[in-house]
Amino acid sequence: MKKLILIIIAIFSLQLNHSQNLSIESNLDGLILNIGDTFQAESYISDLDGNKTTCERLIYYQKDGAFNVGTAIDPTGVFVASDPGIFEIVAVCVGMEGGKRLSQTFLVGVKFPKASSIDFNINGELYVGNFAEVNSVAKYADGKEKSDLNFKYESSDPAIIKVDDLGNLKAIKKGSSVISASFDGQTVSKKINVLNNPVVSIDLSSDSEGFIKTGDVINLSAQLKDKKGNILSGIEPKFSFSGVSTNKSTTASGLISDKGKFVADIAGEYVINASFGNTNSSIQVKAVNRDIQKEIVKLGLGEVFDRRTSDAWFFEGTDGKDYGVSGTWGSDGTAYFWDVSDPTDIKKIDSIQVDARIVNDVKVSKDGKLCVISREASSKRKNGIILIDVTDPSNAEIISEYTTNLTGGVHNIFIYENHVYALNAFANPAKYYVINIEDPKNPKEVGFFEVDEPGSAIHDVWIEDGIAYSSNWKQGVYLVDVGNGIAGGSPSNPVEIGNYRYDSGGNHAAFPFKSKSTGKFYVIMGDEIFPEGVDGNTFNETAGYLHFIDFTDLKNPVEVARYEVPGHGSHNYWVEDDVLYIGMYTAGVRVVDISGELMGDLYKQGREIAKYGTGHPDGYVPNSTMLWGAQYFKGNIFYSDFYTGIGALKLLDKKKDNSNTNQFASDQTLKEALGAEDLLDFFQILASPPIE
Amino acid sequence: MFKKLLILLIPFFSLGQNYYAYVASESEDTVSLIKFDGKEAVEAERIDVGFMFAEIEGPHGITVDPSGDFWYISLAHGNPFGTLVKYSTETNQAVARTTLGLFPASMEISAITGFLYCVNFNLHGSMKPSNVSVVDPETMTEITKITTGSMPHGSRLSPDGLFQYSVAMMSGELFEIDALDLKVSRVLNLEKKMMNDKKMDGKMMNHDNMKGKMMSNDKKENMMKSMGDMKHSMVKPTWVIPHPKESIAYVAGNGSDEVIEVNLDKWEVSDRFKTGKGPYNLEITPNGKLLIGTIKSEGKTAIWNLENKEELAIIKNTTSVSHGIAISSDSKYAFISVEGIGGEPGIVDVIDLDSYELVSSVKVGKQAGGIAFWKKEI
Repeated sequence: MKKLILIIIAIFSLQLNHSQNLSIESNLDGLILNIGDTFQAESYISDLDGNKTTCERLIYYQKDGAFNVGTAIDPTGVFVASDPGIFEIVAVCVGMEGGKRLSQTFLVGVKFPKASSIDFNINGELYVGNFAEVNSVAKYADGKEKSDLNFKYESSDPAIIKVDDLGNLKAIKKGSSVISASFDGQTVSKKINVLNNPVVSIDLSSDSEGFIKTGDVINLSAQLKDKKGNILSGIEPKFSFSGVSTNKSTTASGLISDKGKFVADIAGEYVINASFGNTNSSIQVKAVNRDIQKEIVKLGLGEVFDRRTSDAWFFEGTDGKDYGVSGTWGSDGTAYFWDVSDPTDIKKIDSIQVDARIVNDVKVSKDGKLCVISREASSKRKNGIILIDVTDPSNAEIISEYTTNLTGGVHNIFIYENHVYALNAFANPAKYYVINIEDPKNPKEVGFFEVDEPGSAIHDVWIEDGIAYSSNWKQGVYLVDVGNGIAGGSPSNPVEIGNYRYDSGGNHAAFPFKSKSTGKFYVIMGDEIFPEGVDGNTFNETAGYLHFIDFTDLKNPVEVARYEVPGHGSHNYWVEDDVLYIGMYTAGVRVVDISGELMGDLYKQGREIAKYGTGHPDGYVPNSTMLWGAQYFKGNIFYSDFYTGIGALKLLDKKKDNSNTNQFASDQTLKEALGAEDLLDFFQILASPPIE
Repeated sequence: MFKKLLILLIPFFSLGQNYYAYVASESEDTVSLIKFDGKEAVEAERIDVGFMFAEIEGPHGITVDPSGDFWYISLAHGNPFGTLVKYSTETNQAVARTTLGLFPASMEISAITGFLYCVNFNLHGSMKPSNVSVVDPETMTEITKITTGSMPHGSRLSPDGLFQYSVAMMSGELFEIDALDLKVSRVLNLEKKMMNDKKMDGKMMNHDNMKGKMMSNDKKENMMKSMGDMKHSMVKPTWVIPHPKESIAYVAGNGSDEVIEVNLDKWEVSDRFKTGKGPYNLEITPNGKLLIGTIKSEGKTAIWNLENKEELAIIKNTTSVSHGIAISSDSKYAFISVEGIGGEPGIVDVIDLDSYELVSSVKVGKQAGGIAFWKKEI
């Protein structure tokens, strides 16, 4: 019996070993195709001894790029090479004995087709001493173009024009030369004339007098003159700068644009240069620290420690007093109402509860009568919005609920002129609906706006002056006329007027503002990024920053500046009188000076006025700041923090007191923690011999 | 001698058996590992799922692969598409993920192809045909999407792994997909004859309010065409489960308060029997004897004898909104996920399938939904 058992085990092991040493072999292995080729994949199973068997059912598919969207290849195994590149084709043999399957990935190359032509853009004239760049593009029979290729460049007379491998030209002396770019047997050429540099002198000046502060944008004026002193037109100088920081532990830093704007990030001495060919001129600029930090103090706290807090909104009630409303997250659908008339003594005055686990967004109408909250994760899977009478916020009463087309959960809302703008992020494309609430008992849908791209997403919407600003993740911000009239739009007929998107794809919120100091119109677009994923019960790393887009010309928005706190990400924010109040997640409340023209790295420029961490020892996650949003309201800064509730801060009109740096913050620390009466006592304790 | 040997072995036979199941909490973005020792169920571990901090990503469907080495969770919400995430059962850490369609929900892996078939429920989107995502879990690549009906739900493989079944909640159809060809092989209308005869009044549809108000003429025309083709099911099927041994499948008729029996050979409805209000999920014991169903609207679980379709028991769950079912491999226990309401925790109830009694309950994250049996350990 024992022998029989051992034999059975041996056979089983052999079979196991046998099946484990099978592989798929295929004519896909090392395959190279040309575009347009049709190919029949043929595969079989091979064992270690080279014995081949056919697979009863082979399935092929192609792994396609970073998003893992594959394509099932025709069951016959026939496919057409339609794009150049290297592709992973997976062959899967299914239905094997014992229900096993075998799979193998093959790399298949499809050659890039030969370019059918090349083109480049280059001026026909250069001036002696000038640089220029050649941008070449290869064109293909299918209409595609490619520019990131190794073009070969040549100059017929390098003594006139030099060209390097990257297509950078330098005009050496007067004359002409033919510049050629070649790739894949195609060539394009152009004759370039090099003219004598007419510029003999450059009058360079700036619009600043004396020193500038870091973050101040100065405008440069460069008049290019010939030998007769005439101002030359139609040619532009190149601007550059160098600098030395006043702090030997750091390096000078700034930004200069080709339109002649300069900003210093770091205090120091800068030399700004304007050049044309071999003629140049410089000016010196001294930058000092912006030095605008102020004291910020806590006024009061509306504690919510037993659950997480979401958004908050602060408003003047119909009785002239000040109130707030806040939502809760991952809880029981409660929203709280607060009396914040005395921000040092914030009082919870009422609450309402709806069937939801998240009340994500809360808003109140301008007249202070109507509050609208959004719902997510309701038990009945019908979320939508709830309308609440807050004529008396201490007796808030639900008027109605509205769920049509919003069953999936409404993440954000905005109230504007008797309409609620509510997101439906589950539609494809995602959209926001416009709901008329003139009769709050009977809200009715009058319109919607969607980005006309399948798979587009939406996160937030904000309306100002009849223009809606929706934040659409990868699709960026959309400006839509919903009553401004600039494009004939209305709530029932939203009309798109602008869009800006950026590479990170993390556009989470948008806030428009017109600079009071310059009249320029900006939209601040904020990211929301969690690089390491999330854990709602502990500290989380956040990332992303605020992008400042100059939308003064609606058709040509330009990203001009950023605000990024290293190691922290942004969430919601507010602008008032050229000051930005940010809910910066783990970085707490940040108050930033955004006056004047904006350019470059605002954080590095020292534009931060104040900051405040809002963690609390008794918070839902103790001592952990997670700032959801901030709102400037009647001279105070109100905020909501995910782990602690709502609060109020005050920015004092005095410089930040740094005298506590590296000091014990209170004598109590010395006594309680160290048993010392004061610092001298503390050092004596340290110096005493150890007790035996 | 033999008696003495038996006595010596008794301690080994009386050692407990531990059962494990995974359950998703849709409003908590967590998955709980439940351990049941035959007497008491406990939450052995709670795993955070999801990638966005301030957004609920809604873990909905969950399955364990036939080897027991990995479990998979569908995250319904996204920007805008949902995600499938693969976790190791050894570490409960995520190992890979891929993007699916709109609101991916229930799923299962075929023992023959090894592919995972997940319905894209599109619960809150437009009422138009959605699809089933087919994923190769080895490479976590979505191979293809197969178009089915409107709001597909429930994804179950035939015992031989050759066919995948799902139902379309709004179009009232049962879909059979050939798991090898990756194509729909058959479609069955589940409505009763008199339901088919009833014309749907366009005014009943919510989106009718949009007609003529703000759409371009092209959009209006397309909307009218699709409204003419749309049908709104009276049955509202929410689940399908094939019998482990017979060529039969059972469908939960959530809108018609019934279980529909489908003869898979003849591809026709062979029987219907009434249930309580709102049957939602169905499962059959591996021995083929019992059908278990959650009666969502009543917060109960029903058990039927499949030989004669007699209702053997109707058990009140610990809280309301009964959702999913996982049955132990030895047909002894049913693990029922119960969503709860508002801020209350979700619950997993354990029902003894010999005594038809609720023997244990354990709290998990809010809105407990998708549930999958992992293993039994001695």
